[in-house]
Amino acid sequence: MNVIRGFATTFKHLLEEPTTLNYPEQVRPFQERFKGRHHLRRYDNGLEKCIGCALCAAACPADAIWVEAAENTDEERYSPGERYAKTYEINMLRCIFCGYCEDACPTQAIELGHEHRMSFTDRRDAIYTKQMLIDPVPEGGRETPQEVEPGVFTRPIPDMENPL
Amino acid sequence: MAEQKLVTITIDGKAYQVPAGENLVDAARNHADNQIPVFCYHPKMAPVGMCRMCLVEMGTPERDPNTREIVHDEDGNVKVRWMPKLQTACTQTVSDGMYIRTTTDQVADARNNVLEFLLTSHPLDCPVCDKGGECALQDLTMAHGPGKTRMVFSEKMHLDKIVPLGDLIVLDEERCIQCARCIRFQDEIVGDDVLAFHERGRTLRIITKSDPGFDTYFSGNTTDICPVGALTTVDFRFGARPWEMTSVPSIDPWDAAGSNISLDMRLDRDFGGRAMIKRVMPRQNEWVNEIWISDKVRFGHHFTRAEERICAPLLRNNGNLNEVSWTEALDTVAGVLKAANGDIGLIVGSGASNEDLWALRQVVNGLGSERLGAWPVTHTGGELIAQVGVGKGTNLGKLGKGDVVLIVASDIEEEVPIWRLRIKQAHDRGAAVIVANARKTRMDDFASHTFRYEAGKAAHWLADLKKSAPEAAEAVKSAANLIILTGAEGLTLEGHAALMQAAANLLIETGHVGKPNNGLLSTFPGANGVGQYYLGYTPEQSVAMAAKPPKVLLVAQADMLADDPSVAAWLDKVETIISFSMLPDGITAKFAKVVLPIQSFAERDGTFTNGERRVQRFYTAQGPMGWSLPLWQIANRLGEKLGQGKAKLSAAAVMKEIAASVPAFEGMDYRALSKVEKQYPDVGGASDSYYYSGTACKNTGGLGVVIPTAADKGETVKAGEVKLPAVPKAGKGEFVIIPSTRLYNREAQFKLSTVVHPRVMVPFAEINSADAAKLGITSGDVVQISANGGSVRVRANVNGGAPEGSVVLPRHLTDEPVPMAITVGQVSKV
Ligand code: SF4
Ligand code: FES
Repeated sequence: MNVIRGFATTFKHLLEEPTTLNYPEQVRPFQERFKGRHHLRRYDNGLEKCIGCALCAAACPADAIWVEAAENTDEERYSPGERYAKTYEINMLRCIFCGYCEDACPTQAIELGHEHRMSFTDRRDAIYTKQMLIDPVPEGGRETPQEVEPGVFTRPIPDMENPL
Repeated sequence: MAEQKLVTITIDGKAYQVPAGENLVDAARNHADNQIPVFCYHPKMAPVGMCRMCLVEMGTPERDPNTREIVHDEDGNVKVRWMPKLQTACTQTVSDGMYIRTTTDQVADARNNVLEFLLTSHPLDCPVCDKGGECALQDLTMAHGPGKTRMVFSEKMHLDKIVPLGDLIVLDEERCIQCARCIRFQDEIVGDDVLAFHERGRTLRIITKSDPGFDTYFSGNTTDICPVGALTTVDFRFGARPWEMTSVPSIDPWDAAGSNISLDMRLDRDFGGRAMIKRVMPRQNEWVNEIWISDKVRFGHHFTRAEERICAPLLRNNGNLNEVSWTEALDTVAGVLKAANGDIGLIVGSGASNEDLWALRQVVNGLGSERLGAWPVTHTGGELIAQVGVGKGTNLGKLGKGDVVLIVASDIEEEVPIWRLRIKQAHDRGAAVIVANARKTRMDDFASHTFRYEAGKAAHWLADLKKSAPEAAEAVKSAANLIILTGAEGLTLEGHAALMQAAANLLIETGHVGKPNNGLLSTFPGANGVGQYYLGYTPEQSVAMAAKPPKVLLVAQADMLADDPSVAAWLDKVETIISFSMLPDGITAKFAKVVLPIQSFAERDGTFTNGERRVQRFYTAQGPMGWSLPLWQIANRLGEKLGQGKAKLSAAAVMKEIAASVPAFEGMDYRALSKVEKQYPDVGGASDSYYYSGTACKNTGGLGVVIPTAADKGETVKAGEVKLPAVPKAGKGEFVIIPSTRLYNREAQFKLSTVVHPRVMVPFAEINSADAAKLGITSGDVVQISANGGSVRVRANVNGGAPEGSVVLPRHLTDEPVPMAITVGQVSKV
């Protein structure tokens, strides 16, 4: 009797649609909150959101982020405020995709996206530079560094909403 | 010291015995471990009670009106009469029977409210603020502040964020919480009253009153004591976050003060991903520099990683220097030295460490030569420092009423700025400061008496003090403590020797030797001018070598050609010159057969002996530049090649050998030198940021050990004969040239700190107005000054500074050398 039950199960599954996907030709839809590789975001005008504060690097439990800051001028502006990231690097081999950097960021400049296909044949290739991480300039925006009107972009962090 | 009177105060219900007269904030912290939060109060400055952060409840025991007896309640506790309003703790000194409460709701409320009030005008840009992470406002808000804001953000005060106060410091107006620490530091501690408040209320701002802005040699200290990130240095701005840096204890490489510093290191892409000095911070040593450093120390570090550094051994072939391996370079040098048959001379600059001096000396002595020259040849009299130098336990910060400091022939602000700052404060505490020089110097502003003597006649003046300055003689005689500080300005080497002897005699005659806060000091150039003497190097030997040049000359860390025009002539007569140098200079360019690259103070371990004979350790902070090696190690390897024994493996081992061989250094191994003890005020460490806003550095590297003088050891010291030297006299159409020192100059090392460039003076010379009128010169004219076989063009500055018949010519401002000691020369208008 048990033998029959066993074969029945086998045959049932033979007729079912397979659950495996032909990755990479077929890709499963991602959860909205999936944490893949990082993106550095820009404002609509093209300025970088990242202000080089290195709080992401401080929050990173794997010590995967390296930030070096420098000073903006109105002639050569990368981000609003006085400070921008001159160097921004993430070592993808160290990163554990926990998203703490995203949480720490005061300007929402760094976000973990959905790209997950990362493999390297050289350890050095695992270091993603700012050039590789930053989003392209949105339509209507300008490439950084920008020459801007003096005295406009004095605040590094967008004004918060008022309480009450 | 006299027994301190103790009083009893009660803090939060517990009684403590504290020294009478102590500030309440300090007392609570030092004896009751109760950190009363402060912003404006700083233990080094008088309290002002401006920020109200330190509010506490205060009271006194209730007394029966008839019996004056203290009243107790039913439980037998003392009944305290609390004041109806809170009091600022920082403006109170402790008194017997004082009652304090710091944990009540009323106090917590007050702290909360003060913080909320401060934050109404303070921007929330901590992520980009250099102080973020070591900020008193951040820390205190976390500890005592409101968790929520009621502030309407659009109503926040917005002021300018980038306001340069001078060339070195930048002010962020809206971050300032108006504690006036910076203003008070400049006024009370430095005496350069260059900052002020402007306007009132929410638009109140810090401005600089001087031209050029923030004109002082101590401006960087304001960024340390600013409790928020309102003041930042041009050098460090956005350089790193505080938590990313590692502090390495080190020593000021520039002057005789030997200020204790921390090199804050972080990796940097611009430096090939290696650790580099991000900022230089003071490290507390209450005997040496307290918690202050000069701007030269803070901003002059760039040479350690400059591209100009020599990174490989160089050998001259057909007139050109080519890179070679260490083996080849050392073999060549060893060959040259062996062939010299002992006709070898060694000249070492005052920036070399004790270990370097010792190791090099071994090589030269091993080859049968005793010619050990110290460079530059301006200051001498090391043997007098060893006899009657300032007594062990001396602390300039403890001088006060009844004490006398006599400063002769020194422009102390330019030579050793930290001494000038501390002596200025001694003056404020009531010490008599007597300044004697041939011309007016900055120290005159902080002097009780000033005297002038004829240029070059400092020793004449001092040796005959009773006649030349009876007032000064009187003050010196009745002084409780006496320190005589000599410089070499306007003196020949013999002139300085005579001045040192005259000073020593005066100290001995008046009995001011062998005691703390008494004795002789001199502004020896460089970080290790005194160490040179103790390890057997003298400037007289350098002079002797100039008169009779050796066949082979080793020059270590001395930019000799930049120091005097007359040097080139005698260096020409030396057959072979071997240079140990960090940077290319005149010697490496033209003279050296072999150039051996040495490491800066930041790249290795070592010790310097400061002007007060304190031997202090500096530690390895940065990786080596190229193939450079520590000077002592090169010497050791050379010795190995010459069959003088195996090279030592560490600077510590060299120090052990020094300690075993040189009596002055007895017992000074690296462990003894790195001992620390608790110092007051107690700074540094995480919780201490309440007190000091976090950026004053605790001393972890050692307080150093002072070499005792002969007088300290109870040996009898005798006055010696003062050999008054001939003074250069200007003939007809000639001028006496008085070289002076400028703190900011164009010396090879300092030149590489570009941030300070705007502050380095255009080359100038001070000329007396009477002389200028004769020559038809007005201020700003270009004049040519020729002396010692060289000539320079500089701008004339016609003022009362230079005595008639002389010009004061600052050294190291021009590319060409100017004389290093007083001489005569011609001045003409171009
Ligand atoms: S700049 Fe800093 S130190 Fe000066 S008053 Fe403002 S907060 Fe105080
Ligand atoms: S009022 Fe006391 S610390 Fe400011």
